[in-house]
Amino acid sequence: MTRKIVKSKYHFEPDLIETIGEVSIEEIKPWGSNDELKIIGKPTSRIDGAVKVSGEAVYTSDVILPNMVYAKILRSPHPNAQIKNIDTSEAEQLEGVLYILTYKNAPEIGWYYNTSYLFDKQVRYQGDEVACVAAESEKIAEDALHLIKVEYENLPFVTDAVEALKDNSPKVHEWGNLPRGNPDKYKRGDVEKGLKEADLVIEDTFTTQVVVHNTTEPHCSVAKWEGSKLTVWDSTQAIFNVRDSIAASLQIPASSVRVIKKYMGGGFGSKLEAGKYSVIAALISRKIKRPVKIVLDRREENLAVGNRPNSIQTLKAGVKKDGTLTALSHHSIGSIGAYPDGAGCSWPLRTIYKCENVSTEEYSVFTNTGKSRAYRAPGHVQGTFGLESLIDIAAEKIGMDPLEFRLKNYTDKDQVYNIPYTSKKLKDAYEKGANAIGWHRRNKVPGSSNGILKRGIGMATQIWWGGGGPPAYATLKLNRDGSVNVMAGTQDLGTGTYTFIAQVASEVLQLPIEKISITIGDTETCPYCGASGGSTTAASVAPAVRDAAEQMKAKLISGAAAILETSEEKLIYAEGIISVKNDPSKKITIHEIISKMRERVLVTTGARSANPEGYMINTFGAQFAEVEVDTFTGKVRVIKIVAAHDIGRVLNPKTLENQFHGGIIQGLGYALMEERKVDSNTGKVLTANLYSYLIPTIMDTPEIEVIIVSEGDSMISSVGAKGVGEPAIIPTAAAIAHAVYNAIGVRIKSLPITPDKVLNALTLIKR
Amino acid sequence: MKKKITFICNDENISIEINPALTVLDYLRDNKRLTGTKEGCREGDCGACTVIVGRLNGKRIVYQTINSCLLPIADLNGKHLVSIEGLNLDGLNIIQEQMVDEGGTQCGFCTPGFIISMTNYFINHSEYDPEKAALALDGNICRCTGYLGIRRAIQNVIAYLNSIPRKNSNQTDFLMKAQILPEYFSSIPKRLKTLSKEIQYDKPTEKKIKPRYVVSGGTDLFVQKWESLLESNVRFISGNEALKEIRKEGNTIFIGGAVTISEFENSPLIRKHLPEVTKYLNLFGSQPIRNRATIAGNIVNASPIADMTNILLALSANLNLTTNKKKRSLPLNEFYLGYKTLNKKEKEIIENISIEIPSKEHYFNYERISRRTYLDIASVNTAALIKSDGKRIIDISISAGGVAPIPLYLKSTCNFFKGKEINSDLVDEAAHYALSEISPISDARGSAEYKSLLLKQLLKAHFIKLFPQLIEVEVLV
Ligand SMILES: Cc1cc2nc3c(=O)[nH]c(=O)nc-3n(C[C@H](O)[C@H](O)[C@H](O)COP(=O)(O)OP(=O)(O)OC[C@H]3O[C@@H](n4cnc5c(N)ncnc54)[C@H](O)[C@@H]3O)c2cc1C
Ligand code: FES
Ligand code: FES
Repeated sequence: MTRKIVKSKYHFEPDLIETIGEVSIEEIKPWGSNDELKIIGKPTSRIDGAVKVSGEAVYTSDVILPNMVYAKILRSPHPNAQIKNIDTSEAEQLEGVLYILTYKNAPEIGWYYNTSYLFDKQVRYQGDEVACVAAESEKIAEDALHLIKVEYENLPFVTDAVEALKDNSPKVHEWGNLPRGNPDKYKRGDVEKGLKEADLVIEDTFTTQVVVHNTTEPHCSVAKWEGSKLTVWDSTQAIFNVRDSIAASLQIPASSVRVIKKYMGGGFGSKLEAGKYSVIAALISRKIKRPVKIVLDRREENLAVGNRPNSIQTLKAGVKKDGTLTALSHHSIGSIGAYPDGAGCSWPLRTIYKCENVSTEEYSVFTNTGKSRAYRAPGHVQGTFGLESLIDIAAEKIGMDPLEFRLKNYTDKDQVYNIPYTSKKLKDAYEKGANAIGWHRRNKVPGSSNGILKRGIGMATQIWWGGGGPPAYATLKLNRDGSVNVMAGTQDLGTGTYTFIAQVASEVLQLPIEKISITIGDTETCPYCGASGGSTTAASVAPAVRDAAEQMKAKLISGAAAILETSEEKLIYAEGIISVKNDPSKKITIHEIISKMRERVLVTTGARSANPEGYMINTFGAQFAEVEVDTFTGKVRVIKIVAAHDIGRVLNPKTLENQFHGGIIQGLGYALMEERKVDSNTGKVLTANLYSYLIPTIMDTPEIEVIIVSEGDSMISSVGAKGVGEPAIIPTAAAIAHAVYNAIGVRIKSLPITPDKVLNALTLIKR
Repeated sequence: MKKKITFICNDENISIEINPALTVLDYLRDNKRLTGTKEGCREGDCGACTVIVGRLNGKRIVYQTINSCLLPIADLNGKHLVSIEGLNLDGLNIIQEQMVDEGGTQCGFCTPGFIISMTNYFINHSEYDPEKAALALDGNICRCTGYLGIRRAIQNVIAYLNSIPRKNSNQTDFLMKAQILPEYFSSIPKRLKTLSKEIQYDKPTEKKIKPRYVVSGGTDLFVQKWESLLESNVRFISGNEALKEIRKEGNTIFIGGAVTISEFENSPLIRKHLPEVTKYLNLFGSQPIRNRATIAGNIVNASPIADMTNILLALSANLNLTTNKKKRSLPLNEFYLGYKTLNKKEKEIIENISIEIPSKEHYFNYERISRRTYLDIASVNTAALIKSDGKRIIDISISAGGVAPIPLYLKSTCNFFKGKEINSDLVDEAAHYALSEISPISDARGSAEYKSLLLKQLLKAHFIKLFPQLIEVEVLV
């Protein structure tokens, strides 16, 4: 099939990415509604389920290789210090210790956009890498860490983003505490003018906490050399990122590095970048000529591999009596930790509501704490809590139903780029969601219900990017027996990638799903696909798989035409058999075609098409929460969540529901219990284990109803999926917070909504 | 210091010389290379490492879930260890199948732990309740699924099991017939009996080397110092039958020094005489933690917020301590001298704990508030035992946790209450009064002010719950 190289745009997390990608020239007709399809959109159990429930699935942390050794990382106990000296002599004497890497003997490998080294003399947070010991066992490596003597010169430090912005604050990097020296600013229209036009100006401040991904499988890597060839098993969301990072760090050709990731215990954004541990494992393994395994422990997970930044958001809205928004402004401060990252969270405010006059100012601030990383809908989760809280207040102040207020300010256009959406069904989501929760049941006067246990209902809106984009490729191999192998360099984080690839191939080729075998997560055998994050995987990869399968079908028809000596137009394909339209007795099977061609395997490679020019692709949704607050103890219990969303085509209702349930429970944890706490006096994390960092359990689950209001979006791609990974988490905390307000009549403006905040707030209004 | 340990691992008889403090998690993953059991935290908090351990009890095996990351291999002697690999049949069993079909597994890392806990629930119950089954999973954390698929899987398995006719076979046989447990389970009782003859239990012959640690359930020690346990001489007391007894003499109940929370909770004697107390224990840690955590360990660990300790303070429990030579008794409220400082000699162990059975005139209540309801240490807790004629307080003892460096007995507050008539004003006044007795600090579980506020609320809650007819809630809210 012919190809061309085109320009295409898509969003990965908040970044607008413009790519030049290779796509197929022949346009594949987008699928119609799911009713017309056999496998797509039908509940399909995940095909990797069986090996998971039996414990057979081998995760990176389970990999055991002959002659393998274990390595452990020594991390800085101090938030800011200069290493004066490291003495490893005693540790080296310990029996079983094989190699120790420190800044003294490690190559100078730039890290964090070259603001630091793999091993640096300057450590900038509690958890920064200081040394690594490889030993015959994990226990010996751990013991050796205690024997390494490090002389630190402690330096003044700052852990709070607001403090870090002050002139006299200690500097995390010499050049200051703002990565680019300035805040990120955005402006359209004239906010001052908009505020003047308003009947009412509302201003308020909302804060959110730092939360940690805490994937169940820790970050880990196993590195093994064979001659000049390096194989790395890595628990990663981005095999090609890891491959290229390792190759660049070690200054070896990318072709010499193979990264494999078959099963992984979650990512949520924390495994999008190559970890230092992967490069360290490769370096030590090269040195000692034995495979090296590094598995971080739970404490390291809570210190050193990312988090969602906090936020202090001050928002202002100008509102007319009829509910029209005349201006919106947003000022936010968030801690990105010790190395460059972003803590901006104003995108929801720039895009959800129709408003001409908007300005935002975002401060992403260095502090001496663990670096932030993308975490499931980065920025949007914080920003939605701020924005939606302000909107809830505005609606109440002018005496309007919060839902009506939102409809009043509905927009059909992306206002940042001033272009239409490919599709937007948010109105349906509002309507269906409101019906499902029983929106009319909420307290007309917040806090007005009687008794100790008070109930309330609240809602919030979400917007997220979506649609994915090129480049994404899939290679399909059809065997004589009609079985199929599909290879794609993407990843399954537990998200269902294996399953939707099999579904797409099965749908097009009309072959049973059991005959389809999937290989993903291998840089050596699979064609390139991007990192798995930002709800882009299915939207990018599924069309590539469809392309490969459609090409295979065309190839089979073409082969059949040659063999049957007829023209292609006269042939129809059904379930692996090709027959002549008007003469069904004339037919030929896959087996016959491939045998006749004297091949054993037919191969095609498909590509993701380009996104349409001049349109914006987003997912939209509304979530409704019902809660019960114990006004005696301040405890909040979530009773029900309704999630109504426009996410394009549903590929698989089962894995879709999984994504929604999981996102909602993570949002519930964010709303009520999860919080990384740092002691500002010592710079140390107080919650570096699952005993004090609390994640919801099965006993915290509310009833959840998921409503999808969308069908396939045929403007995006031949598959029309937008993506489902992020949407559910985004509005959850805001919806819960508004429900709490509706229950007790006091607004909690800071997350998480813990019993102490509720109880204190209730006590204050009593006085 | 290696020791010979003899047990059955899944279907395999094992007898090995091994460091007795090695955790079963490391044994499975490193020694046996059975990697279906996962390591998620090594602190009992995630459940990825959950295994089932069966112990011979007469002719039957009693199976329990345990966090293998906190379980020393020493305690497997004579037991049946079941990991996920030991549950697999030729195809998937109904639990596994439903977990796949209902979306109970996503990334799958937590999944073996869930399957283990679910299977153990079905081994231990012949009548099923979806909510109780979910509660049996309170120690398993899943970061992906949101748990609803897991809840549906439970319901479907229950429906399936209820649809199978059962003749009064025992539950293990029934589950084998239902294709949930592999056939080899039927051979285990006999094999364990044979094994138990070979086993040399920890005889006091090793007395010459003074043990550095006494490990009971290990749920505190293995979290705090698993590495130094591996290098030290350790005395394991959880298998000591003499310390396992719960008995009644006259009006006193004696609880052995190695009795676990689960054993206490399920003891017919306790359920008969202290029914009010057992009601709250499902909030203690998680099911697998309760299966290992002991009451004596809870007391000696001296956490100011410990649940059992708090309850026992209100029940005016006595500790009966022993060295090999000398015995002595003392009231629990005299045991704590300061933060983690005990009125206890190094060699002394708690032989048992004694409680006077409360009379009909006694009312008991326990309150605890935590950020997460299950699997979370309380921010503040308090227990109250009130003797009353229905109007007046004849006698009262109240404890308070999380508000001082030690588990606190609220002595002056109790005196304040004594002899007075119960009404809202008295309770309000006393709750304020109690603040003079406490010294909370701010930490990850809440600020000092919040803890004071909370204690006041919880003290009021005792009376709202126990004497609703005498209290006007509106006055106290
Ligand atoms: C995940 C998790 C959740 C938890 N949740 C709770 C909770 O909700 N509430 C709560 O109160 N606790 C909780 N704990 C703490 C712990 O389970 C309890 O303190 C437990 O009761 C300790 O008992 P053990 O037998 O496991 O103690 P071990 O760890 O074996 O021992 C603890 C201490 O007691 C000593 N000791 C044990 N037995 C005796 C004896 N007979 N005589 C003298 N000394 C003895 C030991 O030497 C050691 O110093 C939790 C722990 C974990 C890991
Ligand atoms: S590893 Fe988490 S409970 Fe054992
Ligand atoms: S499925 Fe990923 S943690 Fe449970």
